[in-house]
Amino acid sequence: MKWIKIILLCCVVSIISCRKFDEMPTPPKVEDIFSVKELSVSDGQDIKFSLQADGIYTLTLTDNTTEQVVMREKIVGKIGVNSLKMWTKSLQSKYLYLSLEDESGKQIGKTLLLIN
Amino acid sequence: MRILLTILLSLVTIFGFGQQVNAPDPKTFTLNTAGQDGSGFSLSGFNTSSTLLCAVGLPSTVAGTTFYFTTTTGVTASSGYTMSGNKTRISFTGTQANINAVLASMKINTGSTTGNVNISVSATINPTGYFYNPNNGHFYRPISTGANFANAITLSSQQTFKGQTGYLVTITSNDEDLFIFNNVPQSNIWFAADDRTTEARWVISAGPEAGTLLRIGNASGTNQQNVYNNWANGEPNDWGGNEDAAVTKWGGGFQWNDLSVANVNAYVVEFGTWTNPDDQTFTEFYSNSVIHSNGPTLTNMFNFNFGSNITETNFSAKLNKRNDATSQWVSAGNFVGLNGVGRVILTSQLDTAKVYTTAIQATTQNDMTAYSTADIGKIYKMTITGAQGGGWGTDIYTNDSYIPAMAVHAGVITIGQTKEVYIQIVEGLNDYPASTRNGITTMAWGAWGLSYKFVSEPSSYRALTAAGQVEWCVLYDYDASNQRYRVGIDKREFTGTNVSSNSVTRLKLFDLWDGPVTFKSDDGTWAEYWINTSTQFNFAGSSFASSIRQGNGFWGLSAEFSFAVNGAYKQHKLVMNDYDSVQLKTLYGSIVTVSDVYLAFKELSNGGIMGNQSGNEFGYGIQFKNADVNDDNIFNEADCFALLQDLTGAKNLVSSYKLENTMKIILDSTYATIGKSNWQQFPSYLGKEYPFALSDGKINYTYNLAVTWKGDVNLSHSATPPSNGITTMSANFGMKTQTTLPTAYTISEIKGDSLIAYIKFNPNMNEIVGTQFRVNYDNTTLKYTGTYFKTTGSPINFGTDKGSYINLGSINTSGELLDGSTEYRLVFKLNKQIPNSLGLLSISSNEAVNVKGASVQIKIQ
Repeated sequence: MKWIKIILLCCVVSIISCRKFDEMPTPPKVEDIFSVKELSVSDGQDIKFSLQADGIYTLTLTDNTTEQVVMREKIVGKIGVNSLKMWTKSLQSKYLYLSLEDESGKQIGKTLLLIN
Repeated sequence: MRILLTILLSLVTIFGFGQQVNAPDPKTFTLNTAGQDGSGFSLSGFNTSSTLLCAVGLPSTVAGTTFYFTTTTGVTASSGYTMSGNKTRISFTGTQANINAVLASMKINTGSTTGNVNISVSATINPTGYFYNPNNGHFYRPISTGANFANAITLSSQQTFKGQTGYLVTITSNDEDLFIFNNVPQSNIWFAADDRTTEARWVISAGPEAGTLLRIGNASGTNQQNVYNNWANGEPNDWGGNEDAAVTKWGGGFQWNDLSVANVNAYVVEFGTWTNPDDQTFTEFYSNSVIHSNGPTLTNMFNFNFGSNITETNFSAKLNKRNDATSQWVSAGNFVGLNGVGRVILTSQLDTAKVYTTAIQATTQNDMTAYSTADIGKIYKMTITGAQGGGWGTDIYTNDSYIPAMAVHAGVITIGQTKEVYIQIVEGLNDYPASTRNGITTMAWGAWGLSYKFVSEPSSYRALTAAGQVEWCVLYDYDASNQRYRVGIDKREFTGTNVSSNSVTRLKLFDLWDGPVTFKSDDGTWAEYWINTSTQFNFAGSSFASSIRQGNGFWGLSAEFSFAVNGAYKQHKLVMNDYDSVQLKTLYGSIVTVSDVYLAFKELSNGGIMGNQSGNEFGYGIQFKNADVNDDNIFNEADCFALLQDLTGAKNLVSSYKLENTMKIILDSTYATIGKSNWQQFPSYLGKEYPFALSDGKINYTYNLAVTWKGDVNLSHSATPPSNGITTMSANFGMKTQTTLPTAYTISEIKGDSLIAYIKFNPNMNEIVGTQFRVNYDNTTLKYTGTYFKTTGSPINFGTDKGSYINLGSINTSGELLDGSTEYRLVFKLNKQIPNSLGLLSISSNEAVNVKGASVQIKIQ
């Protein structure tokens, strides 16, 4: 029984030693997407941005080439950091501008999205 | 049961079942080329341990064609044959495996003549004492014991072999005569020719050709035209008044004589009544053949040129050629890529970069035995002095013939004259005739492996580019100080042409230059030359300007053009490759839109209301053809209804999304003649192929093809017909020219377990009668439940779920206008709870149609 335990222990050690520990570290998340001019996004990705006040906001996706709006969404924003989801399966364009406007139509932020 | 299976297996092993000769697919050989792949034949189903007789021949094959094998292990050539060297026929014995190895190594040598290369292969269990002639598919059995002529005829007719009744051999060709000559060791061999019935009237007296008149008259008589005779000089002569039958191989020579019928001579029994080996009906005998083409080759450049405003690149095409012998389309290895949609300009141009060279310098030699079949086609020049000497042949001489004498014989030089002559290596012949010319007498000879002939000074060789290769020629900027251009030629230009880079003395570059060049260097990839000229080239003024691209310090000539070697006289066809049906469906969705549907209704109501009449809206006959979507040669409400059904999603316009259901390819000159009054006279043109022919000897072709689509009523994705004073040849996108565009506002929000999306339309002073939006959605998260329409009047509203997108909009086929209150509310159910919907929806295309039937873009705000 003692020998069996030793063998099992060796197997576990061997398996662990085979794991790849040198993977590239995940880059840090962008805390505010509107703090950068350009951002690469993929389906289901979390996006964050900061708001100064609670209220109704709109997010607009605009085709970078045709300047056509492809989607506009009304959201309820809260003061501080807001976290939303971004989906890409329905999007036909590679480059889209994402802009954020407050209730009065004032643009608060804008960034170029590279859709993966 | 197991015992039964074992017995059956044993029977199969011992006797063999399903024996057959397998033949390859037809292919095209290149002229004047030795060692081309002739493999593809194989035997199967024979007893693996049996000794088989295999015969290979070239019946009815163009002159100059021979074959040889690179592997001969384990097989034995039949009597009269050797396995080595170039052949026009051979028979040999061996096991199935050994024979298959030999057949797999078959190589074909072609000559300079165009025609068919018919290869026939036959096999059977080796019959001892019989010889098989692969060129006519007959067996021959020599009878060395001999008989008088009458008995030879009678005894021959009493023999049977493999289901065939024998007959005294008939000799109907030089080929057959040689076969007897080579395979029967005896001399004076009876064959079925006599004048027993009527003196001096020689006829074939047995076999399938019995009764055929050979000759009328004896020594001073006349052979029948196109009937084979091979009488020795002064024969037949009816010596002693009783020579009434013919023998071949008379006295051991290759000639006929008439002898007394009482003589006892060897004879040959022939089996088989057909002329084509493929027609043979021998039992337990198997054959197959293939007819390859040996067409002349031209290097054709096809230029597929699309208008600059064609943006769709949703299908590709290939260029097929056809084997004239089999009428089969040959696609493998010979196609040209093509991308795009719209009007296609298909042209072919040859010799855009032409390479000239001189003959190969050779040291003076007595004969051409230093060269091999690999040198066939090459031209050598050497300085010789005419002299007496021996040789074989006339005009074409065996390669061991004495050159100084043959040059005199051929008339290119006189005895004692010293001159530079040009000698071309050509393939071997089966027969080299003797003659006396210019005081030189040559001798006759039979089959020989290699020959030469005297030719004129070559004016040019054209460089050929192998299939799929890109022709490149780079012309660097003008060197004004030295008054010259430096030109680089891709070494692939020289492939297969027997042209060496340092022997190039002239170049033709489009219409820019056709003159001498000086060799500069060769780095293995590029051969470079100087063009000395005080006049700079006018690239912009060249008629090939569109094919010349300026690079950084150089001019690229014929860049981006692919080449394919094509049989010049063969019919070709342009075939659009089947494209992925999903993407074609997407493309087609943008071709047939709301404006097409409205325009069709408008045409119908403004004059064509009774059907099959021309109204006021269509400017071209092709619009009627495209609007006649049920292809019944009548444009009426049924077509409009079908278009409407497609738009609203009730029923697709085509049964399946294939090019042959949606696309039309029409010769541009025809396209231009399809008018409003005669469009019914033209076929529907639906299809993805366009056949065309290349004529032998012609080197420039242009085919302008128009592409149009079923249901493309407004020709938004079709060629604009070049008639009626309209000269633009590009696809027509010109109708989208409104200055103040209609707009639409979209917004969506999550309400409970639903996602609601709004599209609010504003015509903005445009007289809009129809709209169409494509709303894509993520079907893994959303489920479409419906669209609510808010429209004034009574338009037809549609919102069709296409699985991953919604096709929605409105159309007033009556011409009633849509106003700013138009609103669409799309409702989706959420499959899961989500905080927001960013990216779950998108509008990817939209279109409106105005009351005039023009397509108008909508600005989404």
